[in-house]
Amino acid sequence: MTATTFDEHHLAPRHGGVWRLLFRPGFVRAAWMFCLFGAIGFGIVVAFRWWGGWQPLFKMEDITLVSLLVAGPLGFLAGIGAFDYWVYYALGFPTREEDHSGHGAKSWRDYFRVNTDHKVIGVQYLVTTMFFFIVGGFLALMVRAELAKPGMQFVDTQTFNGLFSVHASLMIFLFVIPAFAGLANFVVPLMLGAPDMAFPRLNALSFWLLPIAGIMMLSSFVVPGGAFACGWTGYVPLCSTHEPLGAVFFNQGVQWAGASSIMTALNFLVTIITMRAPGMTFWRMPLLVWANFTTSLLVVIATPFIAGSQFFSMFDHVMHTAFFDPNNGGYPLGYQHIFWFYSHPAVYIMMLPGFGIMSEVISVFSRKPIFGYRLMALSLMAIVVLGFSVWAHHMFVSGMASWLRVPMMITTLLIAVPTGIKIFSWLATMWEGKLHFNTPMLFALGFLSMFVIGGLSGVMLGAVPIDIHVSDTYFIVAHIHYVLFGGSVFTIFAGMYYWFPKITGHMYDERLGKLHFWLTFVGFNLTFFPMHILGTEGMPRRVADYAPKFAGLNMFISLASFGLGASVLVFLYNMITSWRNGPIAPSNPWRAMTLEWLVTSPPPVFNFDQIPQVVGSPYEYGVPGAQHAILAPAPTRTVEEVGAS
Amino acid sequence: MRRGSIASLLGIGVVAGGIAAAVAVALPWLPTPASREASRIDFEFWFVIIICIVIFAIVVAAILYSVVVFRAAPDDDSDGPPIHGHTGLEIAWTIVPTLLVTAIGISSAIVLSNDDALGKNVLHINVIAQQFAWTFSYPDSKNLTSATLMLPKDRSVLLTFTSKDVIHSFWVPEFGQKQDTVPGLHPTLHITPDRLGTFPVICTELCGLGHATMRSTAVVMTPAAFDKWIASQTKAVTSPNAGQAGAAVFKNNGCGACHTLTAAGAAGKVGPDLDKLTTYAKQAKQPLAAFVRSSIVNPNAYVQAGYPKNVMPGTFGTSIPKQQLDALVTYLTTNGSK
Repeated sequence: MTATTFDEHHLAPRHGGVWRLLFRPGFVRAAWMFCLFGAIGFGIVVAFRWWGGWQPLFKMEDITLVSLLVAGPLGFLAGIGAFDYWVYYALGFPTREEDHSGHGAKSWRDYFRVNTDHKVIGVQYLVTTMFFFIVGGFLALMVRAELAKPGMQFVDTQTFNGLFSVHASLMIFLFVIPAFAGLANFVVPLMLGAPDMAFPRLNALSFWLLPIAGIMMLSSFVVPGGAFACGWTGYVPLCSTHEPLGAVFFNQGVQWAGASSIMTALNFLVTIITMRAPGMTFWRMPLLVWANFTTSLLVVIATPFIAGSQFFSMFDHVMHTAFFDPNNGGYPLGYQHIFWFYSHPAVYIMMLPGFGIMSEVISVFSRKPIFGYRLMALSLMAIVVLGFSVWAHHMFVSGMASWLRVPMMITTLLIAVPTGIKIFSWLATMWEGKLHFNTPMLFALGFLSMFVIGGLSGVMLGAVPIDIHVSDTYFIVAHIHYVLFGGSVFTIFAGMYYWFPKITGHMYDERLGKLHFWLTFVGFNLTFFPMHILGTEGMPRRVADYAPKFAGLNMFISLASFGLGASVLVFLYNMITSWRNGPIAPSNPWRAMTLEWLVTSPPPVFNFDQIPQVVGSPYEYGVPGAQHAILAPAPTRTVEEVGAS
Repeated sequence: MRRGSIASLLGIGVVAGGIAAAVAVALPWLPTPASREASRIDFEFWFVIIICIVIFAIVVAAILYSVVVFRAAPDDDSDGPPIHGHTGLEIAWTIVPTLLVTAIGISSAIVLSNDDALGKNVLHINVIAQQFAWTFSYPDSKNLTSATLMLPKDRSVLLTFTSKDVIHSFWVPEFGQKQDTVPGLHPTLHITPDRLGTFPVICTELCGLGHATMRSTAVVMTPAAFDKWIASQTKAVTSPNAGQAGAAVFKNNGCGACHTLTAAGAAGKVGPDLDKLTTYAKQAKQPLAAFVRSSIVNPNAYVQAGYPKNVMPGTFGTSIPKQQLDALVTYLTTNGSK
């Protein structure tokens, strides 16, 4: 924010033209600072190797890691302006008054620079994640093209393994997790009645880490030796000592995405705990806020574990340590325990925010209060606690201590209970309501039916004997797509349609929205349901080639997947044309009660001109005269106070 | 709630459940079991499937009923009744699922403990996994090795796994059982084959570029046939006739999975064509026998142009006993020059 203006005011006037272009925060400065920092990283490696007398002096692995994957991206962040305020502050430059010129977006250009407005950051997140969703989906379609027929047709095995590995990594780390963070970024401060997130500059930084992670993972395709090809799980020792350089791009890409996640989660926790409007008790918070509160707890506690696992794996790869190398006393299963201690809670990181969106959408479009509000919030907390006690159910056949299987099975099965409570409560919310089938509601109903299938196949997988038969088969592929596509992606679509009027100020095209839903719903089921059968019958996952007896089903799945891919085009067309030309949205098109609908669409730069006074539950539909909040005349706040909060 | 609504809800539920059950029964979900463990797993599978179908039917029925009955008229802007919850219902849908998953947990634990319980007269087999081949050895029969997993019917078999490089996973879909092989660990897996036949052995853990090709075969035979096989194999590899012994060693170590050798009826395409060994040796400028031996023991020393490095396991030099290795080299030098 202020950093931008600092440069513009202090550097620009003294030097015009090119000088100004080079030194003001932006992509030009990001480009040369990327190169500069990269060169420094290069210099550090070569200097140390020369000093130590190590041969070869120019070791490509070390240089790539330090210069391209660590120092260069830091230079990019510095150049784009993410650190300016802190650097000036730390160096003792004269403190500047907050002028908020880095806040809010007046033109489309403002979306391409470091911006501290949570609404701008939310849009930056959503557009970036949609980009990676499309790229990741394209990679999946290439996987399906190869698998349409037995034998090898289009790509070699290295490329094939790279395709599904990068597909999963992008979808998880660059789409589902940050897309939820983007929606929450836009909505949560509004729902709380807050002017922004607690730490706006940290918020901006956590966004700018994302493109770094995504480009890093994608660019591994052009690295000599090919992309990382050991799956998104990166099991060692395959990924640490048997993989080309691309594996390091995965290890390090995860670090950038993980750091982004952790910063955002901290921001949400502080915002939710400290910045609720007067009267907004925990038991008056909308369930979306509850969902992001619990998700953030999971992120903050769990994400450091995947960071650790990837660091150790990378050290084994680059520095020849032996954390997981059995030939030198390492323990390969240790990786899996640490990895899943994050990656199982990650499943809930990818689902709880969606649960929050569902609660909002189903309640509003059923015109009824959410059924069992407190139990809904408590079951989120139960999932957080139980979610940390089930990680080894990914390892029933891994060769871990066999006694660990039954306790992990019990906790795994028990976690179905709070999830079931949520499903039944949504059904009860709809019961006797006045249902309106707008696009968000269609996606909500699609979610309910599909997520139940994913949840039930999850119960099957929780039962150890069944898991032993189907683990690492296409049954797993079907299960995770029913959970992450039928679950998470459907809720993301529901959320994007639901808040589209609030975010853009325009209504989307309802007919195209419904068309998008039906194409997605049908295409999704045709693509992923047959995978259950492939798996139980004996087709393993992550294979480039398969037995001829599976040819028919695979061809069917591939054709269906192309249809599913095409359905995204309808969504994109709708989003782009409606954003440009859609009818102007009223401030509350859905007649919802939560706070974001009290302000204009799109909301003013500092959200609320008056501080809302929360007086009741956010879901009092059908209660005569009930209100969630009233906008009382507020004491005048100076801009400085607002910015400081 | 009106009585009519309960009746129609039940009706939709029965129809939805019926369709789901029909799908479940009509589709060929599981391979026909070929082991006692697989039969128990199948029982557990169907037990859980039935519970799942009931739950799924309830949810779908409630959704469909709501969609049809509670649809708001286009101009209806009114709200539904302000029902905030129902303690009885909420307790019910906490308790009932808890009971159901407890039942699943208990039955699973029983199946698991039965599947792991060894029978009498256990046959021990060591399974060696490496990129991208399986080798099975029979410690009770002087470590006889085989590239095919030969098993007697109705006898408890305990597989002990060793991995020479990365993590692999042993799976025979018809046996139901699966186990990862972890370098540095020696996990075990119990199987009691109970149906004669030939079944695929599949690697199910991503183990590198040749993962999809890491296949072998399991053959379940009568105990008498099994004993006969053991005897004939032991005789073959120790045969004083080097050609005969070499052919057995070639077969038992799975060479034909990747290599073509007309004399052995092998037609693998992953590695170099062994019918052209003489030509290759000339290109490598080495005498034929020395070239063949070093290519087996240290495959990366010279890699024939057009074939990938690091694919052939580098461990045959230690896993094949010296006498058998000599026989194999003799066999290849005499047959590999078509």
